Amino acid sequence: MIARLDRVTYRYPGADTDTLRNVVAEVEDGDFTLVAGPSAGGKSTLLRLFNGLIPQFHGGTLSGSLDVAGRDPSRTPAREMARIAGMVFQEPEAQSVAETVEDEIAFGMEQQGVARGAMRRNVDGLLAALGIEHLRLRTLTTLSGGERQRVAIAAVLALEPRLLLLDEPTSQLDPTGAESVLATIQRLHGKGDLAILVAEHRLERLLPVVTSVLGVEGGIVNAYAPTEAAARLAAVPPVCEIGRRLKLNPVPLTVEALKAALAGRPLSLALEPASASPGDELLRVDGVSVSYGDLPALRDASFSIREGEIIALVGPNGSGKTTLFRAIAGLISHASGAVRMRGAAAPAKVSERTTFAGLVPQDPAIALYHESVAEELGETLRNRRSKQTLADSLVAWNLSSLAVRHPGDLSVGQQQRVAIGAMLAHEPRVWMLDEPTRGADIRAKEWLAHRLKDHAAAGGAAIVATHDSESAARYATRVIALDQGTIRFDLPARQAFGSGAPMPTQAARILPGAILPEEVTL
Amino acid sequence: MTLVMVVALTATNPYYLGIVLLSVLLVAAMAPKTARGVTSFRALLIFGAIMFVISFTIGVINGNYGDHRLFTIPGADLPSWLGGLRLGGPVSAEGVVATLTRGMAILSVLLAFGVFNSAVSPHRVLRSTPAALFQAGLVVTIGLTLLPSSIEDVRRIREMRALRGGRGGLRDLPALVVPAVVGGLERSMRLAEAMEARGYGAAPAGPRLPRLGAMAAAPLLLLAASGWFYYESLRLPSAMLAAAGLAGFGWWIVSAARTHHTTTLTSEPFPMHDRLLAWASLVLALATVGATAWGWDGLKYNPFADLPWPRFELAASLIPLAAAWPALRFAFSPAPATAPVLLAPGLSEQ
Repeated sequence: MIARLDRVTYRYPGADTDTLRNVVAEVEDGDFTLVAGPSAGGKSTLLRLFNGLIPQFHGGTLSGSLDVAGRDPSRTPAREMARIAGMVFQEPEAQSVAETVEDEIAFGMEQQGVARGAMRRNVDGLLAALGIEHLRLRTLTTLSGGERQRVAIAAVLALEPRLLLLDEPTSQLDPTGAESVLATIQRLHGKGDLAILVAEHRLERLLPVVTSVLGVEGGIVNAYAPTEAAARLAAVPPVCEIGRRLKLNPVPLTVEALKAALAGRPLSLALEPASASPGDELLRVDGVSVSYGDLPALRDASFSIREGEIIALVGPNGSGKTTLFRAIAGLISHASGAVRMRGAAAPAKVSERTTFAGLVPQDPAIALYHESVAEELGETLRNRRSKQTLADSLVAWNLSSLAVRHPGDLSVGQQQRVAIGAMLAHEPRVWMLDEPTRGADIRAKEWLAHRLKDHAAAGGAAIVATHDSESAARYATRVIALDQGTIRFDLPARQAFGSGAPMPTQAARILPGAILPEEVTL
Repeated sequence: MTLVMVVALTATNPYYLGIVLLSVLLVAAMAPKTARGVTSFRALLIFGAIMFVISFTIGVINGNYGDHRLFTIPGADLPSWLGGLRLGGPVSAEGVVATLTRGMAILSVLLAFGVFNSAVSPHRVLRSTPAALFQAGLVVTIGLTLLPSSIEDVRRIREMRALRGGRGGLRDLPALVVPAVVGGLERSMRLAEAMEARGYGAAPAGPRLPRLGAMAAAPLLLLAASGWFYYESLRLPSAMLAAAGLAGFGWWIVSAARTHHTTTLTSEPFPMHDRLLAWASLVLALATVGATAWGWDGLKYNPFADLPWPRFELAASLIPLAAAWPALRFAFSPAPATAPVLLAPGLSEQ
């Protein structure tokens, strides 16, 4: 036993309700535990109990008893706790203190006064263990997100903690980076008796490999075995969803397990009737190229989008997705080629272009500054001289109940909704969203899928840059893939996400022809 | 940088200020470029230029005494209880020259800070800060990290305002600045949290620690006393007290550093040349201050004494020219592995 929480209740300073209530949890040596649950449900708070950041850094009131390796983390100094419980945070940028990889890894040991020879051996060992030897002398700011997170893991492991805490370590990464980080974590499990606790939304990757699950929702913590979690959690990967609906017991965690559990019983396809075919052309991109200095970012991109279409724009980081959006919105003055809106040449001014084709850039919530949600939306309506009333707009974005709240007091998910609403309050015909669900939980993704479909049904269109094919399969009608600035393919969604396609969903791997879990039946 | 500050603040002769300014620009142009450094240097350059224009305008409108009247701005004489503030009135050549030289001094200091900031990352400043000063060091580092990322935030937020159909202009200013500052503070909090989680700053409170805090007061008192003696025109005791105060402060930093036991993976490379540079600049700066305190006015120029043509002496001009020394280093070793590093707070390569 490495850690035990007994009847722990915690409330942040100034909060009206408890963030965690009566938590009972145990972690054994060598455990690999997934902490799952919706955003703002208390996952981060739970992790911070184990290394004493709560209450020592954040304050607040705590009751109950905590024991991590024989110490009470709420009283043990941070310097001592760092040797017992290491923590990796969400954002790679906000946790590095040094300039180069090697210095970053050594930082914790320097603080503990480890001798130089031992420190050097330890750094060498960690670089090898995490497969990042080639990065040793690189400057942190030149690394990709996935590389930085692996360096962050090495940096906390340098103190040889007995407990590794990871707070959504992949939520800011693209699929390649996320996979490299999760594979690293998986390799760490089973070497020695390091216990790992990882909070994650990417359940499909972790559920089959963890030894236990802590489900955290609304401040309540439940301990499950992985198969039990697949049956009980509110949000589960598509394969578990299919398993649940087919009433398989135990609920399979992988596509292979599901196929084995069916034992040859045939599945059938339940397709909804196809939606109406697309209407008139709204937007056309004609041979648009952009380069930054000598670096081509977008090469000769051409496509058009019609009423009722929702395009998922996919591709690795740096493939030109954001550049394409910026070129369409008129933010890049040196873009060559033409953008046409409803058959006419697009106006030059950004404010006029985005009246028709609104753009929501990444992390739009950083621009919120009004005192209330209503004012945020109201300002856009005023700027645009929109005919839309504020009340209608609040209803459309499902924000009526939050209208008088201060955006700063809302959860991250709610802030994101307010920010998207504020950018699109004037209801432009074409929406362009740049990774709107990055780090979001399933509920936020479902809400966005509905909103997009309603918009398309009302004769609008949208382009959504995303890394998440499972949720894109819920709303997209078409998929455009970018790679190194070039359009690799432009396919109907059913082909792009289908079996044998470039990026099949889990449902497609179970039943050819299907792309969503509900399309698979017995 | 110490030298630039000292020269900029003691000199009022436009020739010498011009030399300092050009030296700083030369160093900036020769220094190895990093994207982050360039952004913040450019921002400081713009900020400095704006400050220059504003201070010049205010200086011209307000507070002009002198016989060489250029022209008169029509304006009201404000009642004297407003502290002698004037709006409009005669504009004298002396006033214009005085504001110009003061503006150059401010610009030099700002730009020297910009060069320093782009050459040395705040992380390295923090690492070479004596561990006992970590709390202060942390605050400074976070402040320095804030600058480039806040500038980037302002750019992004401005873009988002445009995407919301904002018209831009001055009315949008709070909408740009408030979120950028809030975002910067949140980022700092996350960094501070991560550092605490990694065991930084929670030093075991030794019995010497509280006493050390109190002891820091002694050298500061000595320095204050020296300042008082100086104003009483008691030069010799003042200089002795100043020396004693500085020595005491140095001793305090060294002993404070010992209370917090840390090790380093690699010793910071601090080549002979950089060491020489740091010491030379410190000595030169102290000498300049000392000489000025003893009444030397080689770097001074007073336009109000009937607007004379400023004197130029080759010997005196060598002092501000020394600020360009690092540029030579960059010229002769085209790709230095590391830029000169900070030895102690306030002491640097220039």
